[in-house]
Order: sequence, then C-alpha cells, then structure tokens
Amino acid sequence: MPSYLLLLHQITDRPRPGSPDEIMAITKSYMAWADRMRADGRLKGGEKLTADAGKVMRPKNGRVAITDGPYAESKELVGGYFILAAKDYDEACRLAETCPHIGYGGNIEVRQVDQL
Amino acid sequence: MTRADPLVDDLFRREAGKISAWLARLLGPARLDLIEDAVQDAFGAALARWPLDGVPDRPAAWLAVAARNKALDRLRRDARLDPFDEGAALRLGFSNPEQTGSLDDTLALMFVACHPALDPDDQTMLTLKTVCGFGVKEIARAYLSTPDAVTQRLVRAKRKIGGLGLRFEIPDRRELAERLPALIQAIYLLFNGGYTSGEGEALMTREFCGEALRLATLLTRHPATASGECHALAALICFHHARADARTDDKGALILLAAQDRGRWDRELIARGFAHLQAATTADALSPLHLEAAIASVHAAAPAFDATDWRLLSHYYGMLEELKPTPVVRLNAAIAHAHADGPAVGLRRLDALAAARKIAHYALFHAARGDLLLKLDRKGDAAAAFAAALNCPANDAERACLASKLQACA
Repeated sequence: MPSYLLLLHQITDRPRPGSPDEIMAITKSYMAWADRMRADGRLKGGEKLTADAGKVMRPKNGRVAITDGPYAESKELVGGYFILAAKDYDEACRLAETCPHIGYGGNIEVRQVDQL
Repeated sequence: MTRADPLVDDLFRREAGKISAWLARLLGPARLDLIEDAVQDAFGAALARWPLDGVPDRPAAWLAVAARNKALDRLRRDARLDPFDEGAALRLGFSNPEQTGSLDDTLALMFVACHPALDPDDQTMLTLKTVCGFGVKEIARAYLSTPDAVTQRLVRAKRKIGGLGLRFEIPDRRELAERLPALIQAIYLLFNGGYTSGEGEALMTREFCGEALRLATLLTRHPATASGECHALAALICFHHARADARTDDKGALILLAAQDRGRWDRELIARGFAHLQAATTADALSPLHLEAAIASVHAAAPAFDATDWRLLSHYYGMLEELKPTPVVRLNAAIAHAHADGPAVGLRRLDALAAARKIAHYALFHAARGDLLLKLDRKGDAAAAFAAALNCPANDAERACLASKLQACA
C-alpha cells in the first residue's frame, strides 16, 4: 500500500490558542486521531517540528544563499507531518480530513511517497 | 492482580525504563520527576483496569499510552506553578507509543543518570531507578539504607539534573570519552552490588546482576559506545554471571568456586563472554577491566578447579597489580600465587598485605589466611584467622560458610 506524507501547514497570523486548557484539548484530539490511525495500521510516522520558520537554502550566483524560512514570504509554517498508508489519493485525503488539523484552521498538503 | 505478582512486577519493571527513556526524549531530562510519576500513574491504572478488562494484547503499548496521557495531565497540573509548556504537550501529541525502548533513548537516559554533577552512588541509584525500573525499597536494601533516605537522594539528584539544562542525547565523540567511564563504573557497581549483597539476606540479588548484564551488552551494541573497554566490562559480567546457578545450593548456602558444579555454569554466557573479550582487544590501552575479564576467563575456561591455569592467573594478576595495586587486587593475587607456587608463598604475600588500610575489616582476607594456614597444618592459627573473619561484615551465606570452616579447625 502506498504511503502519503501529510504536511500540516499553519497560518501564522491567525489567532493562536493560548490557554493551557485549549492546548490540552488540541493535543488530546491530535493524540486521539494518531492513536486511531495507529490502531488501524495506517500511521507510518509523524513528528512535530519546532515552531520557527527554519532556513531556506538556494543557489545564487554559483554559491549557496541561506535565508530565514518562508515566514517572510508567506504566512504559512509547517508545524509537523504524518505519514499514512492509503491505497490512493482519494483514501489519503479522506483520512487526512479526519485529522483535527483542518478544524483548527490549518491546511494539510498531501503528497504520495515514491516507492514501488 | 497486584505488584506482588512476579509476572506483573517484572513487566512493569522492564517497561518502566523503556517508557521513561521515551518520555525523556519527548519532554527533556529536566522533567524526569514528572515522567517517573506518570509511569507510576500508568501502572496504577493498569492494576485497576486489567483485572476488569483483562490483560491487553500488547501490555507494553497499553502502558506507554497510559504513561503518555498521564504525563500530559501532569504537565497541565504543573502549569499552575510554571507557564504551560505548549511545545512539550504538542510533542506528546505527535509521539508514537510503539517506539519505547530504543537503544538511543536508553543510552541517552544512562548518560543523564550518570552525569558528572552527581556523585557515583547517586549515579548508580538513579540508574537503578530510572533505567532499570527498580523501586526505592529494593534500592534501599541494596544500599543498607531506608526507602525514605533513598527517595530523598533521588529527589536531590533529579533536582540537580533539572538545573543543568541538559539535552537528551548521547554525547558527541569528544565528550563521550570523558562521560563513558561513569557509565562503566555504574554498571560495574550495579553488578558488584547484585553479586554480593551486604550484611544479611541472600548472596545475590540476581536481578541486579541481570540488569548489569543487559546494560553492559547494550553499550556494546551502539556504535558510539562499543569501545574495547565496554566489551571488557560485558565479558567480565558474562563470566561471573555464568556461575550464578552454581554459587548457591537450594537452601541459599554459599558454594565456593572449588566446589561448584561446573555443569551448572551457563555455557552460552561464557561463550558470549569470550566473544566480548575478543572484541575488547580493539581498545587502545589495556585497562584493569580487561585484566579482570581475562582473569575471569581463565576460570571460565577451566573444566575443573584443579585444572585451572594458576600460572596464567598469577601472570594476569601481576599485570593487574601494576595498574591497580589495591588491597583487594593484591589479596586475590596472593591467592592465585598460593595455588601456583604453594601456600607458604601465598601466606608471605598475604602477611605483607596485612598493614594495608581497611584489609583488617575484610572477611575474605582473614578467610584466605585461614585456608592457607590449614593447608600448612597450622590449625590453631587457622582458627584464629576464621574467627577474625567472622568479626568482619558479611552476609548470612558468607557467615555460615566461615562458621563451618572454623568448625573444621577443631
């Protein structure tokens, strides 16, 4: 069965939940979703990324230019990723829809991992 | 179902270390206290639910999920005192409870427990508690202390760790060379503590020895820590632990090396020991551990006590004495020489040792003199020596053995 990378984008200028109880609720809903995916044998991986914009490295005039990450250009930040097993894009998207991330105002980018 | 049930207790103990290491990766070593509390909460939940729901198909995963959830709850409770650690909570959200017990995590936790800011006893105790999953009662018994005193020590140790801002990782190569000896020492002490427990009770706390073997083996499995010296440690422990079944009879009485049924030695462990000894030769320098392992290998290779290569043993002891001329090493060297060159030679070496600090309080010193004096047919002097031995600290099995030797002098 193919694997699909779910990149969890956050819109950085949206109001972020602040209170511990809100964070707890968010955390528990991600946990519950991941636990379900794992129990169904779907979850192949997942990590949270640090809450910074990171770096971008580009070729420039024969050298490498390193700048701060996409933050300055767009208001989006990848907060984390999951890898799910699904039989095709349709199924991958159906599963991704159940992830609480979209409900919290984020985007999910779904890309198929290239493997035989 | 309670912790008194050995299968349950064993499962909990084994999983405690793995889950603690996994959570330390997610929450950081400064949170070790919260982590251990969460693990205990999870065990409590298991003891409450499993008798009703049945033991789950995958008990380890169940425990990890429960500990993770309890850790999150405790993070929320902690937020009353400190700002809520959002990052930690979200990392828990993404965590994979099937990833407990990784070698990297276990070793990283060992480096935390054996941090140079702690004194060696604290390092060993913290290793016993967080990495091996032993309880404060068991640790207190091993250290002839009380559970309260051990708890306090652990709290202070964890507080020290908390103040250091450590990263949860295996140190890089430069730092590793400085930090690895403390791990080796802690495991060595752990094995030693299990091999002969103090005054009172059983001769061996077998589980301590088993844990020391497990941890020494783990060190040899990771490329960063698979040094020649770690292999020497693993070899040493394999050879000694191989004799575990032969060292006591079914009443718990001590059986000396000369009288052990070598058919009860664990041949597979001995083979592993020789494999580690071979790998140990990759080290840059010969360490006391190498020599101790080599000495243990000579005994392990002997099909019978009388077939022991005492000359080779004396040679190794000679080398060990040069590196580590401690009274205990000199004592053992004297005994080896006695076997190789006769009791009179051994006795001269022992008497030369008599002035050494603390040797007068060491039961085995007096017992060794007693044995040699008996061989020289000096029964009166031998009796005095065994009596002196009985005046020294010893566990019950050792005292019984010494008492029967004293009787044999009459």
